[in-house]
Amino acid sequence: MKELLVERLSKIYFDPDRGERIAALEEVSLRIAPGEFVAVVGPSGCGKSTLLNLIAGFLEPTSGRILLDGRPVRGPGPDRGVVFQSYALFPWKTVLENVAFGPRMRGLPKAECHAKAMRYLELVGLAHVAHRYPRELSGGMQQRVGVVRALANEPEILLMDEPFAAVDAQTRMTLQEELARIYEERRPTILFVTHDVNEAVFLADRVLLLSKGRLREEIPVPIARPRRWPRLVEDDDFKALVARTLSAVRAA
Amino acid sequence: MTASAEPVRAHRRARTGAIVQAALPFVLLLLLWQGLVAGLQVSPLVFPSLSAVVRAAGQGLRDGSLFLHLGASLARVAIGTAIALLLAVPLGMAMGVSRAVAAFFTPLLRFFSVLAGIAWIPIATLWFGYGFGAIVFVIFNAVFFVVAYNTLLGVATIPVELRRAAASLGARRWSMVREVLLPGALPNIVTGIRTGLGFAWRALIAAEMIATSTGLGYMLFLARDFYRTEVIVLGMVLVGCTWLALDRLLLAPLERRTIERWGVVRGA
Amino acid sequence: MERLAARWLWFVEHWPRAAVFAPFVPLLLSWWAVAEIEIFPPAFFPHPLEVLRRGVELAYKGVLGAYLEDSVLRLAVGAAAGIAVGLPLGLLVGLSDRAHRTLWPLLLFFQAIGDIAWLPILLVWFGFGLTTMTFVIVYTVMFPVLMNTALGVRAVPEVLPRAALSLGASRARVILEVVVPGALPNIVTGIRNGLGFGWRALVAAEIIVGTSGIGFMMFDARRAGSVTEVVIGLVVLGVLWSIVDSWILAPLERATGERWGLVAR
Ligand SMILES: Nc1ncnc2c1ncn2[C@@H]1O[C@H](COP(=O)(O)OP(=O)(O)O)[C@@H](O)[C@H]1O
Ligand SMILES: [Mg+2]
Repeated sequence: MKELLVERLSKIYFDPDRGERIAALEEVSLRIAPGEFVAVVGPSGCGKSTLLNLIAGFLEPTSGRILLDGRPVRGPGPDRGVVFQSYALFPWKTVLENVAFGPRMRGLPKAECHAKAMRYLELVGLAHVAHRYPRELSGGMQQRVGVVRALANEPEILLMDEPFAAVDAQTRMTLQEELARIYEERRPTILFVTHDVNEAVFLADRVLLLSKGRLREEIPVPIARPRRWPRLVEDDDFKALVARTLSAVRAA
Repeated sequence: MTASAEPVRAHRRARTGAIVQAALPFVLLLLLWQGLVAGLQVSPLVFPSLSAVVRAAGQGLRDGSLFLHLGASLARVAIGTAIALLLAVPLGMAMGVSRAVAAFFTPLLRFFSVLAGIAWIPIATLWFGYGFGAIVFVIFNAVFFVVAYNTLLGVATIPVELRRAAASLGARRWSMVREVLLPGALPNIVTGIRTGLGFAWRALIAAEMIATSTGLGYMLFLARDFYRTEVIVLGMVLVGCTWLALDRLLLAPLERRTIERWGVVRGA
Repeated sequence: MERLAARWLWFVEHWPRAAVFAPFVPLLLSWWAVAEIEIFPPAFFPHPLEVLRRGVELAYKGVLGAYLEDSVLRLAVGAAAGIAVGLPLGLLVGLSDRAHRTLWPLLLFFQAIGDIAWLPILLVWFGFGLTTMTFVIVYTVMFPVLMNTALGVRAVPEVLPRAALSLGASRARVILEVVVPGALPNIVTGIRNGLGFGWRALVAAEIIVGTSGIGFMMFDARRAGSVTEVVIGLVVLGVLWSIVDSWILAPLERATGERWGLVAR
């Protein structure tokens, strides 16, 4: 696992409809240590996806630098795994083939890729649907596949853009617990973007507050792991932190 | 095993029923035809009797002329389509990959696919002379532009997240083409092939009427010169049946299956 | 190169109308260049200036206008008749299960025969003339309209007519106010497809039956070995049909599809 360093990152879009420039991100700097779980919260339109897409290499920054393990990031690559809000599973591939995609791109033999993909599917209890197509699965199951597809490629850092925003409330809580469990077991480095304060505080070690393209505040989350909902909904520290973060979001 | 035999039999019965149901209107039509022509004593110069058409078919089968014409038509379609696909799919994909390139070629391909097919017959016969070359060119032209346009559209409408996902999983140029762009565009490609062949088949019949001395179109048009209405009707039935077989047994199922299996759910 | 691509994309986003025409400029320039260095003999590959000069001349003489008028009028009359026949028949086939069961295979078959294969027998019946051409166009336009209408009618969700009936609407009103609007997107698609096949059939008919019209002009020029007029015909057809398709038919299809909420899924 390597360190991610973002230095004075700015992104200016040009809006052709109104003919004006939009500063989606202004001078954002942050550092994520190996094995750390960082959440970025903020209202919609504050630049969360822009930040994540820049780090993923899908967009070019207007100015500033992104360093992974000291090397500048150029374009998308397998060192940064991405989980999308819309799942982005390949509809023409089975679940197994989707998860095996990353390892196959690295040139591993097919049998090995499939064995590996199977192990990762077992991690989220989806081995039994390995040969189904994504559309045959519920939204929650599809996003589990999305998460393990990124994990199976063993990236240095996992980038997640509101991954659970499109599923129903029940499923969302289950997925959050599952992600917490996976994190606690394997300690990947994760940058998680969400507009849901509860979700951010539940998952992360540290919550960054983004508003109108600028980082406003940093809130550490000193809550013990393992984190599970039944315990945390009763937990006064958790409730206080959520309340504090929420008022910070409102004030920003 | 005996337990499962019953549903199979029921299934077969249902299938037979469906076939009978589809055939029945045709049987009625044939009866009506025979009855009307005999009852009204229609001159064979205006419309043939059913038996005359059957005789013409027998004659054509015996002297092999039916196979000659049908074979010539199918060979032209196959060759023209094959060349068109070999060029159109890679070109369409290349044009669709980048937004800038796609925006450049879309209006051009649109213009030429709107024009594709029959309108090129005069210039094709001028360039290649009457015969094989001109007809294959017209077929090629009908299929090429429509398929290239649809391929471009297919690639351009693949959700950007899928391309991003593949790129961040480490896919480079060729794996991107093979694993994402081609399968993602396939439903559009197949739809394009079906539309293009529809234009091509009509263009073929028209071209054969004026530009050659074999093929179904020629057979139809030659028969007109001699007022052989039974050969004309036979030709029409052949044209219809061949296209029906091509479209319903090959293209439509192919289209349905690719859309079902490979299709990305996207707004129409 | 990257800067050029970015500029071009900016242009596409800011001037979408103009950007549609821009690609034709390099196309015309390449045509010019190829004609200028005479890779192909001019008898096969005319110079764009020659095409323009001759086109203007023909237009000035009134030949082009008269032929264009003939073609467009034939298509308009044929298409109107095709729609007038196809639409009610399509409603009938779509509404009645029995009609659908018995007629659908026949319809598929007769559609498959296709316009152009009818020409020889039509020539036997009606000779070289307007009747033959009109018949071919009506036939060509009718089937896509008929079949798409039937498909559209059958695709109207069952709850809609039920809702209308339980609100006290008569059967006739349900058809008029629920079924037809519900099927409208398909109907428009059918008209667009029908016209797409229809104008090709018209060109074929004019080439083969030919007494006047753009198709006749092209084939007549081809017989005389005059490539310039053939190319003029191609350009006129392409421009005309592009305008009709992308400025009238496609927006109409999109508008009905969007308004009735059947496009976004
Ligand atoms: N491609 C684009 N072109 C122009 N403006 C954009 C583009 N993408 C995003 N924006 C604008 O940038 C701002 C930040 O967007 P985004 O990063 O998607 O926010 P979030 O993910 O937090 O909702 C918004 O105001 C949005 O409208
Ligand atoms: Mg976002």
